[in-house]
Order: sequence, then C-alpha cells, then structure tokens
Amino acid sequence: MSDPLNARLKTLIVETLKLDDVNPADIPDDEPLFGSPRFGLDSIDALELVVKLEKEFGIKISSSEESKQALASVGALAGFIRARQEVARK
Amino acid sequence: MNERPLLPRNPGPDWGFRFLQQVQRVPRWFLQPLLAVGTWVAVGLMPAQRRHSRAYLVRVLGRRPGLADVWRHFQAYLEFLLLRLRVAGGAPVMCALEPENAGVFEALMASGEPALFGTFHFGHSDLLGFALAQRGRRVAMVRLRVTNSEDTAMLEQQFRGAVSFIWVNEPENLLFAMKSALERGDSLALQCDRLHSSRTEGFDFLGARRRFPFTIYHLALMFELPVIFCLGLPDGRGGTRIDVSPLFRPDPNLGRDSNLQRGRDHFQAVLARLETRVRQHPMLWFNFLPLNAELPEDATKPVASIG
Repeated sequence: MSDPLNARLKTLIVETLKLDDVNPADIPDDEPLFGSPRFGLDSIDALELVVKLEKEFGIKISSSEESKQALASVGALAGFIRARQEVARK
Repeated sequence: MNERPLLPRNPGPDWGFRFLQQVQRVPRWFLQPLLAVGTWVAVGLMPAQRRHSRAYLVRVLGRRPGLADVWRHFQAYLEFLLLRLRVAGGAPVMCALEPENAGVFEALMASGEPALFGTFHFGHSDLLGFALAQRGRRVAMVRLRVTNSEDTAMLEQQFRGAVSFIWVNEPENLLFAMKSALERGDSLALQCDRLHSSRTEGFDFLGARRRFPFTIYHLALMFELPVIFCLGLPDGRGGTRIDVSPLFRPDPNLGRDSNLQRGRDHFQAVLARLETRVRQHPMLWFNFLPLNAELPEDATKPVASIG
C-alpha cells in the first residue's frame, strides 16, 4: 500500500506544477523529479515547489543544495519532510 | 600558460574605471574633448560592441548608421559610466518622477511593502536600486558578476546595508538568493532584457517577436508581490527622470494561468513603453550585445527554460 505522505506529495507536485498529463499515482517513489524528461522541470519549478512545500508542511528549504537533496524523488522528499518535522518536534 | 578567467569581464581595459575617476576631476571644458577622443578609441578597440551597436542602430533608426552614430552610442554610455562613478563616489542619485503613474509608485514606496522592481539596460535605469536605497528601501540587485567592475565594488561599499547584490551568473544559488532576500523583506531590482538564468517568453519589441526574461512574474506569483518597472532617463542636467509603469499585482482570486496571462499583458505594455522611449532616445540602449533573439510571430508560450 502506498505511503499516504508520498501520495499527498505526488498530488501536490502535479497540482503545483500543472503537470496536466501526469497521473499522480503513476509517479514512482524513486523517480528523479528534476532532470527527468517525463516532467521537464526547471529551477523555477523547483523554487515554486519549495515555496509550496514550505507553506504546506511548515519546513524550511533554504539553499539549492538542500532543494536538490529534498527534491531528488518523492521518496527522498517524504524522508526530508519527516526528518525536518521530527527535528521541529524535539 | 594563461588560464581562462572563470568570470566574464567588462569590455575595455582594466584601468578604464580608474582613468575615468581621475579624468572627472579635470574641468568640463577640458574633459569633453578628452572624452570625445576616448570614445573614438573605444569605438576603434571594441569591434564586437561596435558591430552590435551598428546592428541595433540599423533596427531602431531604420537606416544604415554611420560611424558617427556608433560614436554617439558609445559616448552616451560613457556619459552614463561617469554618472555611475559619481554615485559610487558618494554623489546622490538625483531623481524626479514623471507624472504618469507617480501616485502608484509613491503609494508603494510609502507602504514599505517589498516589491519586484524591473528595469532594463537603458539610460540611467541601472541606478534604480541605488535610488530606491536612498529612499529607505533595502534592495537586492540582480547583476552579472564580472572580474573588472570596480565601480560596482565602490557602489557596494557606498550603499552597504541598503543594497546587496545577487549574482546572476551563479545560477546554482540565484533563485534561492532571491528567495532569501524576499523573505527578509528586501525588494528585488531585476534587469529584464538580458537572457541569463531565467524563464523566457516571446514579446513584441522593435518590430519582431523577441525572447525576454519573464522570471519576475513567476516570482511575483510565488511570493505574492507587486511588480513595477522604472526607466531612468537623463534630464539633461545630470539628474534622472523616472518613468514608472502601471503596477502589476497578482490577483489571489485568479489561478496561476490567468495571473501569468495578466503578467504577459503587463510586460507587453511595459515593452511598448520601453520601445517608445528607445525610439525617442535611441542612443540610451546600453546593450552592446545582439538584440534579443527573434521568434516566430505566433510564439506566445514559454520558449525556453535555462538554469
């Protein structure tokens, strides 16, 4: 069964970046989000996604390095968000 | 063995700015002929800039320019460099607003709300960020970092605390640097004619559909900030007249696509305004580079994403 956070992230990515021809359920957890010809995303898309994620999950992504790490794939993003929320709870 | 520099450099000799600083101290009656000769030397020694100047002048004047036209183009830029150096040396940017849209600009300034200030390499527009800083704004200016720009280093020193620079040729961190600046409440000043790290689209300008950066509107939507464009025109007395565009503000009740379309309409109107000014003052276009690339007539969609 799909991780609910992963599923939520896939929907958020598709909606935020207007990937009209992509079905969220079809995005593999480990598919690279950037550099993948399927999505064709650029740095402005990355920033747009970062701004949305910060609002939605109350996390902070403040550098290109962090965004690369966080946005490597849906699975990596879910891990990044969980880790940040964990730190915030402590 | 000579190593290639990692950063681009301004055309002209390394001692150019120091020389201009020195010659400014001589009386104007003596300086003027000196600058005239210096401009001829620059025209002679900068073949690439001369070629681009000619190509641009053909387009804007509608005739084959003579060498004297190219000289006037170079001379106008030299005059602007001298002004920039005076500001870098501590002289205030003397500005007055043109009446149209002045109320909108003043209201924005009075509100203190961070904003995206767009401009172009035209006339005195390059001084916009410093003029805003003089009025109490903290501004992050998006610029191309070059190895031999002593005037920029002096300006940075002169406006320390009020103006910071974000380097467009450091694309790795460019967008995050803009994000950080906006999050700390700074305004951004962006020049929206040269194509560096930005998303571009096709707009009508100087008789063709041409590629222009459109990133400023994406930032406006992301950060829910207004966009306003300003052009700085010489007033003939060493000061600057600021021509202000109408304000663009993303409408929270509209979706992204509708807001981007409103942004396109706004930017097209800004470019029409710029074109009018360029045709009135053709020598003030300070891009000694190829004109923005032409696109097919019907190019309305984003045409490229760089970076």
